[in-house]
Amino acid sequence: MLGFLLVVLLIPYLIAAYGLLFVKLRWGLRLFGAFIVATIGLLTAMFLVEAYPIIARDGVAVFFQTRWDPVRESYGVLQALTGTVLTSAVAMALAMPMAIGVAVTINEILPARLRGIFGSLVDLTATMPTVIFGLWGLFVLGPFLKDAVNSVSRYLVGDDVMTSPYTLFTAGVLLAIMITPYAAAVIREGYALVPKPVEEAIYAVGATRFEAAFIKLRYVRNYILGGFFLALGRAMGETVAVAMVVGGNFSRFTTNILESGITISSLIALIFESGITISSLIALQFPNAASYQYMVPALFAGALLLTLFGLAINAVAIYIIQRGQI
Amino acid sequence: MTAERKAEDITAVRMVINWLGLGLFALLGVAAVVPLFLIIGDVYVKGIDAINRLGGLWHFLTELPPTPLDERGGIGPMLVGTLYMTALGALLGIAVGFPLGVYIGEMRKEKFANVARAGVNVLVEFPTIVVGLFVYAVMSLAKEDLNRYLLGPISNTISPLGEWIPWFIGPLDGFNAYAGAAALTLIMIPYVALITASAYASIEQPLREAAYATAGREFNALFIVLRKAVSRAVLTAALLGTAKIAGETAPLLFTALGNLYYASFTGPTAAVSLWIWYAAQTSYEVQIDSAYGAAAVLLTIILTIFIIARIRG
Repeated sequence: MLGFLLVVLLIPYLIAAYGLLFVKLRWGLRLFGAFIVATIGLLTAMFLVEAYPIIARDGVAVFFQTRWDPVRESYGVLQALTGTVLTSAVAMALAMPMAIGVAVTINEILPARLRGIFGSLVDLTATMPTVIFGLWGLFVLGPFLKDAVNSVSRYLVGDDVMTSPYTLFTAGVLLAIMITPYAAAVIREGYALVPKPVEEAIYAVGATRFEAAFIKLRYVRNYILGGFFLALGRAMGETVAVAMVVGGNFSRFTTNILESGITISSLIALIFESGITISSLIALQFPNAASYQYMVPALFAGALLLTLFGLAINAVAIYIIQRGQI
Repeated sequence: MTAERKAEDITAVRMVINWLGLGLFALLGVAAVVPLFLIIGDVYVKGIDAINRLGGLWHFLTELPPTPLDERGGIGPMLVGTLYMTALGALLGIAVGFPLGVYIGEMRKEKFANVARAGVNVLVEFPTIVVGLFVYAVMSLAKEDLNRYLLGPISNTISPLGEWIPWFIGPLDGFNAYAGAAALTLIMIPYVALITASAYASIEQPLREAAYATAGREFNALFIVLRKAVSRAVLTAALLGTAKIAGETAPLLFTALGNLYYASFTGPTAAVSLWIWYAAQTSYEVQIDSAYGAAAVLLTIILTIFIIARIRG
């Protein structure tokens, strides 16, 4: 009934907003603003309600359990959370240098004629459907990374570390390619805002172009940090491409971490195993979730977690960028 | 060693560092776009080959998808579903996103406008799968009553008008094209709103005053006179947003669900991106081929929209 009212009221609401635009413009516009705020509030409330059964049963433990065993109705999203953190870490480590490289290449290195074209290419990377990235990761990037990583590791430790082409590492590398444009866009925006007198002063003291680029990057460090958080938000929420290459495996976490404890080497070993992230957990498990009593609430709890992460990361990013406005 | 020699040495070292550093930046920048070419090349090489093997372009664009036992097949239902949901989503997205953008761009002095701007900023970065789950949750709450009180009576009344009506209007299933379009709309709104807002915010003050002076009403000033000043940016935003939602998969997983046949839009609806997601993960050669063909078609649609947006903008 609640949902019915919601859908039925939504349509008159939008019509009213349009009507008000012609009568009392400001109130009409405010209604549109209210629409977007209400949507976000409703979304969070909806997830709280949907996730309530499992939170009532397990408390917050649902976020700190590793066991994902539908047959015993035991759901813990900690492994998926670890997977999200690890893939995002790999992705950010690779994406930030590339994003800075893009910003410097466009503003310092390329001749003015080519800047627009290069910028368009970067924007196109952001517009590409994620499922096509997934397809490429599945058939090209995954096998390639497996060969490359194994030939290095055979040389270093004498053994293959990547037994499957579809691991958290593959997902991280694919994510890095996908999120670079988002970080780059923010850094480019800041880079273009460096005042002309500052630039002239940098060259006046005899800086080389590299030194100038370096000083300017320090000047826009707020934008770099803001871009970092925005890209991190994207990396944590990305679903389809990650789900296609991450392997969808639950068991490794327990064997690796519980036996050897949380150490650097066990975490690194974990990166080269197939795993799962929160968003890919939702995408892969939802189709058969209805046959279990508590799985749908558990998946909504995962979505709630993603929402809260998204809100927090965006808040930080927006704060940093606005504080650092030149 | 004289001081001059020393200074020369330092300069030489700095020049070397300069070239090495710039080279490193350029290398990193190029590394960010190389995968794009690899992906486009991979998709078109394998995709065109696959389309030829599955029965030629026309056959591929209109026929049903191949079962594991078939040798020929296409993506007809998926293409129809994607076009329908993208068109609906884009229209609604612009209809809500544009006024919203005007609000947060023009009324920046209002406190509530800043709240709304923060909301839009959050929504544009939201994981798309979360949006899909939200629409799914609303749909599963609303479906039964919606069918009983509203859509059932309506479709009973107007269905004698024509054979085609049940294809578009009727009691909804849990998964349907309209839920998919709603999810795409929610993704499109913040995209259009943010670019509209920054376009309106960049209008110079004298132009704004002239618009208010000549237009008479505030509505005319904002939506007729000033719109001309920003129409290019808004059109680009609309096109890029459309390209973005045409390829979305995650929000459709739980709203449109996907389908293998030409079917009513009130039930599970097929989409090109959903077919790629599904077919790429099967182990049948012919379906993987069709996934590559579908990817080539989807990429062509998106590249076309993108290039139009760049030339116009």
